[in-house]
Amino acid sequence: MLETVAPDLRWSTAADIAAAVGAGRTSAVSVVEAALARISARDPVLNSFTAVTERRALMRARALDAARARGEPTPPLCGVPFAVKNLFDIAGMPTLAGSKINRDAPAAKHDATLIERLEAAGAVLIGALNMGEYAYDFTGENVHDGPARNPHDLSRMTGGSSSGSAAAVAGGLVPFALGSDTNGSIRVPASLCGLFGLKPTYGRLSRAGTFPFVASLDHVGPLARSARDLASVYDAMQGYDARDSACADHAAEPVAALLDRGTAGLRIAVAGGYFKCRTAEAVYAVDHVAAALGANRDIDIPQAERARSAAFIITASEGASLHLDRLRARARDFDPAVRDRLLAGALAPASLVVKAQKFRRWYRSEVLKLFAEVDAILAPATPCTAPLIGQRTFTLNDVELPVRANLGLYTQPISLIGLPVVAVPVPFAPLPIAVQIVAAPWREDVALRIAHALETKGVAAAMRPKEI
Amino acid sequence: MRRKSAVRKPKAARKTRRPARRSPAKRPDPIVTLVAAGAKALALPIDPVWREGVAFNLRLILSHATQVDEFPLPDETEPAPVFRA
Repeated sequence: MLETVAPDLRWSTAADIAAAVGAGRTSAVSVVEAALARISARDPVLNSFTAVTERRALMRARALDAARARGEPTPPLCGVPFAVKNLFDIAGMPTLAGSKINRDAPAAKHDATLIERLEAAGAVLIGALNMGEYAYDFTGENVHDGPARNPHDLSRMTGGSSSGSAAAVAGGLVPFALGSDTNGSIRVPASLCGLFGLKPTYGRLSRAGTFPFVASLDHVGPLARSARDLASVYDAMQGYDARDSACADHAAEPVAALLDRGTAGLRIAVAGGYFKCRTAEAVYAVDHVAAALGANRDIDIPQAERARSAAFIITASEGASLHLDRLRARARDFDPAVRDRLLAGALAPASLVVKAQKFRRWYRSEVLKLFAEVDAILAPATPCTAPLIGQRTFTLNDVELPVRANLGLYTQPISLIGLPVVAVPVPFAPLPIAVQIVAAPWREDVALRIAHALETKGVAAAMRPKEI
Repeated sequence: MRRKSAVRKPKAARKTRRPARRSPAKRPDPIVTLVAAGAKALALPIDPVWREGVAFNLRLILSHATQVDEFPLPDETEPAPVFRA
């Protein structure tokens, strides 16, 4: 007999939910109804969703239950609810990308490729999520929709720009969500909200049907509460897509089945120099992870600080180029903080932007040499735990810095050259923080194996907020 | 036709016309000037109230650009982006 009580969706993993639905211990409809009820009760506080696709989700869940009743094989993510940063196209809705301006855009005709692939694997889309305007943000604040709130402390930032994605997963509303990462927008919120986050190799996952920001730096990926969920979701999304010109024609390389191989034989080092952060929480997190992995050597990522500068210039310039017409026609409708950055980017000298792109080529070739010596590099994901919402500056290594531009100072040198990274959350009182596990191009398997090993050892874990 | 500049007053007379207590003229901030000029050239509607905020961000971009610009690269270095069709 079908048990109608849904699993504890608040903290169940996607794997647990899919197993329960597949075994008939619950139904996809029960799981989706429980998620919708949870959103209704909790999201007025977290402010993570900007749209809930209730009707569509229930229709999809009924179809999955009907297929199972007919004896059809259950797909790997059967009945698992998920949500997407609102820069992913959802058929029938305008794609907001965190902006006021895009509310006037026509509704998307199709779902983004990754939504199609996840639904083909049995997952159920239940809504669109809050984000920093046009993804130019590390804080999670948004003047149009209000800030998403950190489930561990509602007065604190989620990090951005995938703010709603992190708040919804850490807040127990969905087991996983999709975000985008141009300079750190998956890894920063994963760190501040205590989640696992994957930024894959540039060109690995299709961005088709997502609103762009910086074409040469944009990545998409998942956030979840376990490394295994990250791997399962990632596997369901892999594969070439001609609709994204940057998507590499690279064969899918499923990872979930490799996770239990452990870390034996992997050469792991800690990033030195620029990445040696002196805040107590970052020091603790990196040291704790390094000790658990037996990583006792430092490695210098050459010119990392300059790489961050190159990312900064390229972002400002390409981002401004994307929005030039909107800046001319509707400058007053932008978030003022984003508008001023974009207007400045429009005035950046082209000669220096090209130089940054040349430096990027040089830097990539130098960093790739390191992977002859090591398989993975550990680095802090953020310099600190979540700042207060509205906080303008923080102190790092005795220097006061603006929060908005600097929460990603350790993520930018990595995404500049498209390396795959898993952010692993390290419990730290009172707030979590994450460590980046950086691997060679196309070696997401290495970073995910290490993340899973750390989780198995209890070193990495998604902290459950007190209210859940 | 006589040019105005050709009519020069005696040095002493010029000296007495100079305001005695006026503070030295404040030079306009070149970045703020660049913002105003760039906005005009690119037809970007930058409200004067926004200029300081835009100038702050442009200074930040240029400080990062200096970091990159100072790094010597061989002339043969190609830019990074790779586009696939």
